[in-house]
Amino acid sequence: MSDCGCEKAKSELEEYLHQELSAQDFQDITEHLAGCDDCSTEHLVGITLTEKMRKACKEQAPAELREAVALKLRSLTAQQ
Amino acid sequence: MSMLLEAPMTSHDAGLGWAAMNDTTAVPVEDPRGDGGERETELDDATLRRLFEEQALPFMDQLYAAGMRMTRNPADAADLVQETFVKAFTAFRQFQQGTNLKAWLYRILTNTFINSYRKKQRDPYQGTIDELEDWQLGGAESATASTSRSAEAEAIDHLPDSSVKDALQSIPEDFRLAVYLADVEGFAYQEIADIMKTPVGTVMSRLHRGRKLLRERLAGYARERGIAVPETTAPEKTGGKR
Repeated sequence: MSDCGCEKAKSELEEYLHQELSAQDFQDITEHLAGCDDCSTEHLVGITLTEKMRKACKEQAPAELREAVALKLRSLTAQQ
Repeated sequence: MSMLLEAPMTSHDAGLGWAAMNDTTAVPVEDPRGDGGERETELDDATLRRLFEEQALPFMDQLYAAGMRMTRNPADAADLVQETFVKAFTAFRQFQQGTNLKAWLYRILTNTFINSYRKKQRDPYQGTIDELEDWQLGGAESATASTSRSAEAEAIDHLPDSSVKDALQSIPEDFRLAVYLADVEGFAYQEIADIMKTPVGTVMSRLHRGRKLLRERLAGYARERGIAVPETTAPEKTGGKR
């Protein structure tokens, strides 16, 4: 097991976060993060950013929209 | 390339498609039990609608949330989502069951947004952002010590949701879409490329730049609120390592 180094890890952290790496690269970065404080805190910022966005962007469609869509679909199927 | 995104959908042909369908297909009278009557292969309208209601309508909250981030206001978001569902329903016979319905719906949503809403919104960055080189926006990784970076993570975590939405609204639209689709919706890069009709490399670059800008904006908000966040990200226009 050889460490892939900070440069490779940092350049691929975003793909790592989005699970876009090959299994081998994923494993390499995981191993590097386990032993590197610098890269793992950088990764932490990335995760935090993603999770924060996920949470902040939650919305509930207004009831009027639901009704409007349901009505629209019914009128489309009743047309003929 | 996934099959699911090959459905012939443009913002303009959807209505025509419906009219054509009504003219040329002998659709049986509405069947209240929705078992399709004697037709084995072609679903009748009521069955199709029920299938659509079951499968597509559960995505309404998500599509509305995406619409909010695209249009930036509730009225336009609602209109956009309604238009999306109408187009999707109209084309639903062409949708291949078993393929990714969510990605299909997002493609229609994004197309509709780009064709009908973006034009009136005048994004000042439009058409220029992709021409900037990566190094002009700076590298994503910070050059500071890991202790200040954990402070940065904590600061981001403590910001109110409204700051995150403001930050998202403030970045160029193509960056915002890519980031939203990847980070909030969890689409794969290839799916985002299909939805946004750009090469995967462009998606990656938009994501990278978008996330970097977001991070800077959020650190800025945190500082305004008196949360101590050191200048963590590399300054603009200095070379990244990529």
